[in-house]
Amino acid sequence: MADIPSSAVRGIWRKWSDRKTWRSFGLFFALIGPGIITSNVDNDAGGITTYSLAGAEYGLGLLWTLIPVTVALIVIQEMCARMGVISGKGLSDLIRERFGLKITFYLMIVLFLANLGNAISNFAGVAASLEIFGISRYLSVPFSAAFVWWLVVKGNYKSVEKVFLFACVFYLSYVISGFMGKPDWNAVGSSLLKPTLRMDAGFLTMAVGVIGTTIAPWMQFYLQSSVVDKGLKARDYPYTRMDVIFGSIMVNGIAFFIILLCAITLFQNGVKIESAKDAALALAPLAGEYASGLFAFGLLNASLFAASILPISTAYTICEAFGWESSLNCKFMEAPQFYGLYSLMIFLSAGIILLPDMPLIGIMFYSQVINGALLPVVLIFMLLLVNDRRIMGVYVNGLAMNIVSWLTVAVLTALTITMLVLMLI
Amino acid sequence: MAIHDEPQVFLFLSEILGRRLVDPEGGVIGKVIDLAGNIGEVYPAVTDLLLRREEDQRIVLFPWRKVEIAGATLVAHTPREEDFREPVLDSGELFLKDALLDKQVVDTDGAKIRRVNDLQFLKARRLLCLVHVDVGFHGLLRRVGLVRPVGFLLRTLFDYAMTDQLISWKFVQPLSSPDLLRLTVAQNRLAHLHPADLADIIEDLDIHQRSAVFRSLDVETAAETLEETDPKIQVSLIADLDTANASDIIEEMSLSEAADLLGDLPREKAEGILREMEQEVAEDVKELLAHPEEKAGGLMTSAFLRFSPDVTAAEALETIRRDAEDMDLIYYLYVLDGEDHLLGVLSLRDLLTAPPDAPLSERMDQRVISVNIEEKKDRIAEDFAKYGIMAMPVVDGDERLKGVILFRNLLEVVAPKLGR
Repeated sequence: MADIPSSAVRGIWRKWSDRKTWRSFGLFFALIGPGIITSNVDNDAGGITTYSLAGAEYGLGLLWTLIPVTVALIVIQEMCARMGVISGKGLSDLIRERFGLKITFYLMIVLFLANLGNAISNFAGVAASLEIFGISRYLSVPFSAAFVWWLVVKGNYKSVEKVFLFACVFYLSYVISGFMGKPDWNAVGSSLLKPTLRMDAGFLTMAVGVIGTTIAPWMQFYLQSSVVDKGLKARDYPYTRMDVIFGSIMVNGIAFFIILLCAITLFQNGVKIESAKDAALALAPLAGEYASGLFAFGLLNASLFAASILPISTAYTICEAFGWESSLNCKFMEAPQFYGLYSLMIFLSAGIILLPDMPLIGIMFYSQVINGALLPVVLIFMLLLVNDRRIMGVYVNGLAMNIVSWLTVAVLTALTITMLVLMLI
Repeated sequence: MAIHDEPQVFLFLSEILGRRLVDPEGGVIGKVIDLAGNIGEVYPAVTDLLLRREEDQRIVLFPWRKVEIAGATLVAHTPREEDFREPVLDSGELFLKDALLDKQVVDTDGAKIRRVNDLQFLKARRLLCLVHVDVGFHGLLRRVGLVRPVGFLLRTLFDYAMTDQLISWKFVQPLSSPDLLRLTVAQNRLAHLHPADLADIIEDLDIHQRSAVFRSLDVETAAETLEETDPKIQVSLIADLDTANASDIIEEMSLSEAADLLGDLPREKAEGILREMEQEVAEDVKELLAHPEEKAGGLMTSAFLRFSPDVTAAEALETIRRDAEDMDLIYYLYVLDGEDHLLGVLSLRDLLTAPPDAPLSERMDQRVISVNIEEKKDRIAEDFAKYGIMAMPVVDGDERLKGVILFRNLLEVVAPKLGR
């Protein structure tokens, strides 16, 4: 009798000690990174603000939107990663080669503006989160800008990537503070599985906002370039796909806890907030000092993380499109456009935060409008490219994937246009 | 505005694309969508126009020799139905826009990868020849249609006049397909580059272009280039080759570089390559492979000069002359006893200044510096700095000479720390 369990144990042991299992495990960890990093950068200051607002204003009502958002994110990022692995080229590179210079030129200008807006909101997030801990923005913003610049220019990309992967762990602070709020899990479960749709403009705008902040144009460029940078080959692709799926689920898991925390504390007590900073401050009396502190720390980490990646990603993307030297291994004079764009972006976005009387809300607003207008264009280009046999060979979308992806893009485009209309009228 | 009475000598591709081809009576035949040229020539001449025909919207070729440029339009001489042919090219011919415009090329003069903003043609009588590739900001703006406003801004604000940044076609190596690399092998433009520059270029290319460029190199250049390339990329380049080609290239590399590379490869691939390699070289490489890479044993090479003490200077010189080709180091001669104990060292200069019949033991320096085979990189680097030598002998626990570390191989360890 005793033989059966022990042989089962032995079987499991044999499986686990099998070199093949370990090797594929090890390979997964060697090849992951791009998907997880991209997804987590996506939970930046703007994202956290949107999720906090969604939870505080509509309680658990918007929680279900995270499920379709996760699916859409996976569909889109998977195509991007596949293009990177198969073509070995970045997205802006492919757009330039396929659609010509003129389109690329204007696309890059719009992308620069959109990303500048995103970078501003992240430096604003740094300022806001550190103000909760009593540090003046006139200290925190210049210091963090210098830190970001130093990290990327003086460190090498490998170590930077490791720092960023490690930083992803800090997002767990939201999960912990979510549990600290002691939610009623039955209510959470039912609101997640029973979608509610309210037909008022505020609710719809917020729903679209949640989607818009999770799927942003710059991510596709960044993800594809980092996949290319890692030098992955077609046979490594299954791991990259796992990486992308894991990242997409993780990012929405974090979003889930943010909405949850704000819903069970702020919404239930009728607290009105306008920003993520308000949310962190309002949490202190309701969920305790620690939850509030963790929330603020999460905001700082997210903002700093995104502020480090956005400028460098923008500079890479633009230089790649125009064929300018773009490498951190070059000296300033060898790659003036690259360092120029990179430094300009940090300087502008950090500088704008420090200007007194800057209409920050207005800047955020238009940044979201530009992002929204850009997204459908980028997605449609992506779909055309991923279906181009000259680029993708046998790795073009299959029929099912094409139906899913065109549907996703159509829905996203419709929602984005709705959002633009709602915002601008 | 430019005056169009004078015949224009230079033409840009962007000025030709989209133009109408008309017959002598002025009736529209079609719109130009591409030019075909013979890439094998030094300055490729345009052979055909690729047209979308007005009457049936078909895509056809029309011979350039029947075309004349008149102001803003292209006029076809006596176009007959049999002039139009299916868009199938002869070997050596190529669609210029499709293959070059907006694509990456290597500028072999500046040793850089550039992106093509425009192509410049020289019009000489009936011929239209590709002479320059435009890679500059001016060309970029011309195609976007913003030359005038931006030019005006730059002039008024910075007193800066934009100029075209052109690369002569003879310094351009197109990359967009493996065929292009093969077609231009005759001219072998990449061979003009120093292997270190080639390595930088290869590192900057995407994975497909990388292996295409690498495959187009001859064995010796490939080996030299590989030595200068980042280890991760070395592995991916070799992994793409079949075992026979890979072993040919690795044989040409220096022993220590070859051992490092084989150590990084997957086991089966490395073993396959070792089997294909010459017996003698494979033995040496295997011995080096046994040592961990970050210690002295992993950095050293075994291709160096060793002599017994009673060998004369003339005999030693003779040996060097014969074996130098296969050695990684010829500037130092190590003198060993019968059991490989290191007795002394001579520099090549010492040897050249010695009388031909003097035995090496008389001229050698007995104060030899050496490191243990288990020594770490950092300590070895310190010793190099302290003693100012070009190569460091490596001994095992019994003081027997096992190999020599070249300063060059250690430089890769030390150099990254220097500038930072």
